[in-house]
This record gives sequence, C-alpha cells and structure tokens, in this order.
Amino acid sequence: MKQKRKVNWEREITYLLFVIPALILYVVFFILPVGMGIYYSLTDWNGLSQNVAFIGLKNYQKLFTDSAFHQALGFNAVYAVLLVVCIVALAMVLALCLNAKIKCRTFFRGAMFFPAVLSMLTVGMVFNEIFTRVIPRLGELLGIEFLQTNILSGVDTAMYGILFVNVWQGLAIPTVLLLAGLQTIPADIFEAAELDGAGKWMQFRSITIPFLLPVLSVVLILTFKSGLTVFDLIMALTEGGPAGRTKSLTFNIYNLGFKELKFGYAIAQAMVVTAIVVVISYVQIRVTNKKKVY
Amino acid sequence: MVQKKGARIPIYAVLIVAVLFIVLPFYMAVITAFKTPMENMESYFAFPKSLYLGNFQEILSRPGYFRAVFNTFYITVLGILGMVVIMPMASYPIARKMDGNRAYRLLYFFMLIGIFIPFQIKMMPLVKLAGSLGLMNVNGIILLYIAGSVCECVFLYVGYIQSIPQELEEAAYIDGATTLRTYASVVLPLIKPMIATVAIKDALWLWNDFMMPLLILNKSADYWTLTLFQYNFKTKFSSDPTLIMTSFLLSMLPVLIAYLFAQKHIIGGLVSGGVKS
Repeated sequence: MKQKRKVNWEREITYLLFVIPALILYVVFFILPVGMGIYYSLTDWNGLSQNVAFIGLKNYQKLFTDSAFHQALGFNAVYAVLLVVCIVALAMVLALCLNAKIKCRTFFRGAMFFPAVLSMLTVGMVFNEIFTRVIPRLGELLGIEFLQTNILSGVDTAMYGILFVNVWQGLAIPTVLLLAGLQTIPADIFEAAELDGAGKWMQFRSITIPFLLPVLSVVLILTFKSGLTVFDLIMALTEGGPAGRTKSLTFNIYNLGFKELKFGYAIAQAMVVTAIVVVISYVQIRVTNKKKVY
Repeated sequence: MVQKKGARIPIYAVLIVAVLFIVLPFYMAVITAFKTPMENMESYFAFPKSLYLGNFQEILSRPGYFRAVFNTFYITVLGILGMVVIMPMASYPIARKMDGNRAYRLLYFFMLIGIFIPFQIKMMPLVKLAGSLGLMNVNGIILLYIAGSVCECVFLYVGYIQSIPQELEEAAYIDGATTLRTYASVVLPLIKPMIATVAIKDALWLWNDFMMPLLILNKSADYWTLTLFQYNFKTKFSSDPTLIMTSFLLSMLPVLIAYLFAQKHIIGGLVSGGVKS
C-alpha cells in the first residue's frame, strides 16, 4: 500500500514547527523538574543553600525508620481504600437510579454533577464551617449528643469528616461516567435474560458489571489516585490535625519541602508516592483487561 | 425493561435524598451570608429576616477581592488561549505521522509518560525552576499551566484527530494549499468540538486550582487568585461566620452562573478527560 514519495519539505518543516512549542514546554517544565527531583532525592539539599551534597540512597533508607512517614502512608492507604469503596458503591447506586425510567432525569443529573465544578478548597472550607458550627448547633437543638462535637476535632473521627466531604464532591464524575456506561448496554440483552428467568441481581452481576468493567477501572484508578494525593481538603479542613492524625503524604511532602526545608528528603517521599501510583495504575489496567467480556 | 410504577418510588427517594445532601451546604451558605452576625447567633437555621447586604459590602469593598477576581480571570483566559493554540497544533502532526514514522510515535509516547506522574514529584523542583527563571508571578503560572496540560491534551487531541478521515486535507493539498493553511481552514474547524470540551475542562481546572497558586503566587497579595484570597481571608476572619460564608458564595458565583448556562458542555468536558487526576 505504501507509496514511495518525494519528501515534502514544506510539510515536514511546518509539522516540526507545530510540535516544537509544546515539546519545549513539556521538556522544560515537566521532564526537567522530574529529573531534577530524582537527582535531589539523592542529596541533602535544603532547598536554599548553594551546598548540595550527594548522599546516595540515604533519604530512601530514612523512609524505613521514619514513623511520621509510616503514619502518613497508613493514613493514605486506609483513606484511599475507604474512598474507593464509598464512591464506587454510591456512584453505582446513583447511576442505576438515574438510568431507570424516571422523570426529570436531566435535572437530577445536573444537580448531582454540580459539586464537581466547584473548587475543592471552597468546598472544604464550607464544610469546615458546617462541621464546626452548623452541625454542633443542630445537635444542641435536637438534643442529640454525638452531633454536638465537631467531627474534625475528634482524633478518631477527623478522617471520616474529610472522607465525607471528598465523597460529597467526588461522586459526581464517577456517577456520570457509570451512567454513560449503563446507557451503552443494549436493552435486548436484559430482555433475553428476563425471558431465561434471570432475576434482577443475576442480571446485574452477569450483564451490567461485565459491561461496565472498562468504565469501572477508570473510576477505580481515578478515585484511588485522588485518595493517595489528597491535599486541598486537608488544608481546608484539618491542616493535619488533630494530633497529626490526618497528615497525608502530600501534606507531609509540602510541609517537609517548604516549611522544614528538607527538600531532598521530601522528594524521596514523593518518589514513593509516584511508584505506588504507577504500580496501582498498571495492576489495575492488567486486571481489568483480563476480565473483559469480549 | 418493564417496570411497575410502584417500583420507582424508592428510586425517586434515593435521588431526592442525594439532591438534598448536595443542596444543604448551599442553603446554609446563602442564608448565613444575608444575616448580620447578631441575627446569625440568635437564629441559626432560619431564613434571614431581611436581606442584609453588609457582608457583601464588606468583602467587595476590599481591593483584594477584585484583584483576585481579575487575576483568576486573567490566568484562566490566557492559559486556555495558549492551550487552545499550542496543543491541537502539536497533536496534528503526531496524529497524522504516528503510524508511519518512528520519531513521531516515540514523541507521542514520550508526551504520554506524564500521565502517570503525580504532581507531587515535580512540584518542588518546579518551584525552584520557576524561581530561578523569574516565573513566580501571574504570567509565569500561565506558562506552567500550559506545560502541565501537554500530556492530557495531546492524548485527547491525537485520539480525536485520528478518527477524522484525511480526504478533506488531501483535497486541500491537491488544490495547492500550504500545510499551515490546510491546518487552519480544514483541520481546525473539524476538531472544534474537542477543543471546546478540553477548553472547558481546563478552564475549570485553572479557575479552581489551589496547589499551584499556593506554590507560585502566595508571596504577594497582588498575585492572589480567588482560591488563595479565600484561603488567606479565612485565616484572618475565622471568627466571623457570616463574612466567611459570604466570601464562599462570592467565589462560587461565577462557576454557578457558568454551570447554569453551559451545563451540558461542562459535564461533557469533565467526563471526557478521565485520564487526569
């Protein structure tokens, strides 16, 4: 099929000029910082001084004994898993409801999607107000004791406060993605299954889920990643407190790098976050590809 | 699916509860913003007795607020403009040459690596780099945003351009049009829908972003964006709930208005780019 053609220089040069601006920006502000990061993670640089000493893998060794890092890692692991479970389950329920034959679907969809367009920081701050002032007030009015304390100030409950806000905002995109996935399933498959006597649960398990797997895998990766890198909400809701119980990895990295001036060490932690994200994305893609129906 | 009428009642119940959950925070923000601090203390959950506008006056009279609105607007508009010009332009040759040319295929995968790299890893070197290049200002952050959008934009545009048949371009070439001319008057109009989608998505990202402004612009109040203004405002006035709720309302308002008018496009834009965290 291929034809040998004379090289069209005008086109080749234009193509090259088209690509160059994006390529330069990408190399300078994306690849270069990542490369610098890898290098600095092997040094003791504090971010300011001119003296940078190469210390090899010491920063990484330190990770093994740093209890603050372990605590943050534990926080993020639990948090990300809970976030994925809550969001996938609730988004599935909402998507199934929205996919039923109902009136005002556009309205419901529009209303449910709205949180996604707001800034995470604003949402976090509004809920901070609600948790610290509104709900305790409501608890007083109704005489319900456990509502009267601020969920964000409890050592054991603060994480659930953050989780709630994250779910409140994070449900929107997965719900719409799953709804779009549901609408691609041909209706006659369900009719055939119904004729064969399959119940609703059976239909859901053997038709809906397999069809939704590609979308589900996207939702899982996105949600997990956002759970592992949560930052805005922590800044808006708890700033790491109470008693350091809600210090996430990203929050720690930010503080180490910019407040405590342990630049090299902070980047070593960021490397670990990156590795986790890459591995999880990869495993996720592999697993879901295997389970595909067609 | 055949469904009995009664079976739908639980469905409506779930949906209505979900909508209530979403509306309640806004209800609280709105009723609090129109009360005086005294009134707010006395009747927390009631509707305001009269529309008290003092909170709005207080915030709008601060020069910082309009400065922040202007900065956010400026960053978003110029950032999107840059992305809309540069990204489809870079994606077009990649989409058309990738299949037969190893260099372009490599370039494509090189540009996609970034999708897997979380922001945290480059954030500190990026700040150092921006500092030494004199980019710790409103114009600098625009450049950083454009660079940060490369992976996702190239991914979305290349896929879209590949789905467009080449006949129209061939016809233009036969008529003697230059590559630039063909791109501008044949290819660009065809990829308009994708440009709109990506632009909306990125506009929301730029408008709402907190981390990058915190890293790059927090040095001087002249550079603050709306999210930074809010963050700093909150730290200063944490004891005054009516004022704080008003500032939230004011910063949500532009997005709310945009959402009311372009809901369909905004949902489409945000959902299409599932690759970005």
